[in-house]
Amino acid sequence: MTDLSTDDIALAGEYALGTLDHATRGTVAARIRRDAVFAAEVALWEARLDPLNDALAPVAPPAALWRGLEGRLFAESPRPSPWRWIAAAGALSTAMLAAVLWFGAPLATGPGPMWVSDMVSEDGSVRLAALYDEDRGEMRVSVGGEAAPEGRDFELWLIAGEAAPISLGVMPEAGQAAMPIPEDLRPLMLNATLAITDEPAGGAPGGIATGPVVALAALRRI
Amino acid sequence: MSTQAADLADLLTRVALRDRSAFKALYEAASPKLFAICLSLLKDRREAEDALQEVFVKIWHGADRFAPDLASPAAWLNTVTRNHAIDRLRALRSGSYTLDAAEQIADPGPDPEATAITSSEGRRIEGCMEGLMPERAEAVRLAYVEGESYLELSERYSVPLNTMRSWLRRSLIQLRNCLSP
Repeated sequence: MTDLSTDDIALAGEYALGTLDHATRGTVAARIRRDAVFAAEVALWEARLDPLNDALAPVAPPAALWRGLEGRLFAESPRPSPWRWIAAAGALSTAMLAAVLWFGAPLATGPGPMWVSDMVSEDGSVRLAALYDEDRGEMRVSVGGEAAPEGRDFELWLIAGEAAPISLGVMPEAGQAAMPIPEDLRPLMLNATLAITDEPAGGAPGGIATGPVVALAALRRI
Repeated sequence: MSTQAADLADLLTRVALRDRSAFKALYEAASPKLFAICLSLLKDRREAEDALQEVFVKIWHGADRFAPDLASPAAWLNTVTRNHAIDRLRALRSGSYTLDAAEQIADPGPDPEATAITSSEGRRIEGCMEGLMPERAEAVRLAYVEGESYLELSERYSVPLNTMRSWLRRSLIQLRNCLSP
């Protein structure tokens, strides 16, 4: 239920309908940003009125438009998509044990099956080694290299198959950390890929990765 | 969720992870509808093309803001597009008049037409639109689909601007009462 007055509900409707003038739209947009109840009412209106778009028959945009968009967004730094990186990581056959040696204090292995993932950013400035103890359901991570930029955090993600990445938490700035893996995620850890993304401080809002992928690597049985 | 909606939701999730091939697939799937929205609102091919490009730049940078529990992926894409195109449309003619954001409906009591649509039948907007007086339903459609402003609508229906606004606000409230149980 809403605490909004009828006039506020109508104003939210007018915003979604599109009839407000430029200045008033600006005022209402500012309110949407600071007033969650009002913003929710606008979202409801957007959903309520959306079926009116059914009246519009699709029109193919000119082909040049995609090329312009591609040039504008991707021109300067061609970088393969993370999903292609994942395919590449899956094809690696080299033992990942070496990762453990890159850090001063090696991660302690247990008696049961162990999985390792070494993540190194493209320029080598960010390094993170993860060692997963299957029997104990615990992962130990060792962070090396540069910390996240001011006001940002590195966040660790579990990627299993084509499903959306699952956050495993924000990385400590340096040193080692033990991360218990929740039971329901444990089966996913085997043969999964781990990725680090650059996120706002405290981690990705809503649990959905927003930042660029800094590094990623498959978890390998050792 | 339909297969198409699930596909769009999946593409948006991957776009949020900076997956370019997913972005291209999303563009191919969604751009014809979104271009139709831009054309209908802006009425100018060049403006519509510019708007569509800006919209996809916003989608690339803001796909993480898509919240599946609040909107279908198609409705979210439509809303991003509409908001951009309407902002542009209103900016092109800014300064012609300014409304009062604190506008009040003079009499929120029932209109003669209200009784027709307060019943629970027809939760969908189309059914509820049929409960509005035909002229008012047409005004809602012209505003939403064609992007007509209060000024344009008031000229079309030869009524003062404030009267036009009062009509539409009443119609919105009646639509809401019809759509919400």
